[in-house]
Formats: sequence, C-alpha cells, structure tokens
Amino acid sequence: MESTQFNTQILNHSDKLFRLAKSILRDVDAAQDAVQDLIVKLWEKRYMLDEVENIQAFTMRSMRNLCLDTIRQNRDMDELPVEFEYIELNPYQKTELKDLASKVKRMIDNLPELQRTIIRMRDVEEMDISEIAYITLLTENAVSVNLSRARQKIRDQILNEQKKVEDTVWK
Amino acid sequence: MEMMNELLEKYFRGETSLTEEKELKKYYSTGKVATEHEIYRSLFDVFKEEKNETAISPFNKVIPKQKRITRIWYQAFGITGIAATIALLLWVKLPQDNTNYAFIDGNRNENTEFVQHYTLNKLNRVNRMLAKSMNPMKSFNHVRQNMEPIQNISEIKDKMDDIHNKLKFKKTRI
Repeated sequence: MESTQFNTQILNHSDKLFRLAKSILRDVDAAQDAVQDLIVKLWEKRYMLDEVENIQAFTMRSMRNLCLDTIRQNRDMDELPVEFEYIELNPYQKTELKDLASKVKRMIDNLPELQRTIIRMRDVEEMDISEIAYITLLTENAVSVNLSRARQKIRDQILNEQKKVEDTVWK
Repeated sequence: MEMMNELLEKYFRGETSLTEEKELKKYYSTGKVATEHEIYRSLFDVFKEEKNETAISPFNKVIPKQKRITRIWYQAFGITGIAATIALLLWVKLPQDNTNYAFIDGNRNENTEFVQHYTLNKLNRVNRMLAKSMNPMKSFNHVRQNMEPIQNISEIKDKMDDIHNKLKFKKTRI
C-alpha cells in the first residue's frame, strides 16, 4: 500500500478508530494510545495490506483485537461482568448524571463489551450487520441478537428512569 | 404516529434496516416529536453527539486556571512543546518533495501526514504526562489555600483581645 492510500484509507479514519477504542476501553488516554499503536503497526506492515479486501473493516477488527489484548494485559482495566460492576461517582459526575443524555451514555458504557461495541458500530457509525459480523468475528445472526439485547436493555433502563422521575413528581 | 410506533418497536427488536434507522434519526433530529416518543430522544441525541467525537489533539486541550506558579510551568512546557512542534512541522512540511524524511523507531519515514499524526500523538502523550506530574502541585496549592484561614487566627485573637480590653475599660468606668 502506497503512502497516499495509507493516509486516505487508514489515517483519515483515526477518529472512527478512536471512538471504537474509547467505547471498548472506556478511557480517553488509553484509547488514544491504542489508536497510535495500531497506526504504527499498520504502517510497518503496509505492504501486506494490499491483499486485504475491505481495509476499513479490517482496521476496525484490528483495533478491537488490540483493545481486547490491552484489557487482558492490564488487570486494572479488566472487564467485569456488568452485574458486579460498580464505579464510585465523584460529585461532579453525580451532578452530570442528572441529565438524561449523560445517563444514557453511562447505560451504554455499562453494557458488556460486545453489546456496547455492536450498538455503537450500528447506531453511531451506521455500519452494515455483515461488516459488524466481520469485525467481531460473529455470525450475522449473533450480531442481530446482541444488538437487539443491547437496545432492549437501554430501553428498559430509560423506562425505569422515567418511572423514577414520575414517582418523584407524584410523591 | 402509528408508523413511528411500529418503527420504534422494530428498532428495539433489532430488526430495522439502516434506511429505517436513518428515518428514525431524522424524526428525532426535528423539533416535531410526538409526546409519547419524547422519552427516547436522549438516546438518539447521544448517538448524534458521539458521531461527532474526534480524537483529542494536543492543541484543543484546555488547561484549567490555576495559581501563578503552576501556570508558569504550564506556559513554559506549553511554549516549548509548541515551538518544538512548529519546528518539526516546518522541517517536515516546507519543501514539498520527497527528500524530506523523519526517523521513527530507527526507520526512515517520508510520509508527511503520518509523521505529523505521529508527532501530535507523542506530544499529546507528553502533555498528559506533564498534567499528571503537576497533580501534586495542584494538591499543594489546594492545601495552601485551605491553610490561609488558619494564618488569620492570631489576627482574630488580637482583635478579640482588643474588644475584650475595651469592654473591661467600659466596665470600670461604670
């Protein structure tokens, strides 16, 4: 792959890679480092990239794999099952959480890694189910099932929030 | 309205096509949303907001206002960083032919955009490290600010003594 091709097909999509890394790692600094590491690795192997059919999907798959490796290597960032996950909020975050949009973001961030990656690839990046299946190494059916579960969970939580607000008003 | 209800149900079952999802996003981006659908507006707002999220460059990070000493350090590091970047970018970019190159991890690289991207990310990393190393200084300033009322205690005591003496004086006069 030539330099110009590398720039248009990989470098220009670094924001998309960053969003994926941030969704998986849930940390801005770690996500930036991961994107940088991936771009350097891909640049070193750019001559092998000519054989890849869909460069963007391949890059996204590599990004996800690199992030999952980072999580495996770093125990502090280890993915906890969502039911045991507890993050102590600082006062600023508590104030921020009053806003429903922030709550929704947090709901998505608290989904299991696979579900939050899939919902964001579909609803934020607007990717085809087949592309998501390639990136996540799942079948298209499994992607649809995970997408539906993720959306349903978010819907239930939004409805719960709404009920809480209504209860407070009527008390 | 009925059609939107069905579309939303289909969406939450994960059965909508990309075109149908775009239709939903368009519906929520306009002001005319039915009251019963308002509840999901924040979800679509979040998707729209996240789509615009970009990797942070070292130049758009905002340094919070701090005490003078800390600011001077930040300014010194900031100016050095910016000067180094400008020098590097000029060195890489000015003459637009392939005779320019940079060495990254011992390898010669002639891709200007790649080198710029690489440099910005490295600077960003340095910026983050500096910000972290400044944290104890922030704490020091915080402690110092909180100690200020304690320094005033002797002043308060003097004032109280003064009032007390005046009162004593008044009493004797009575």
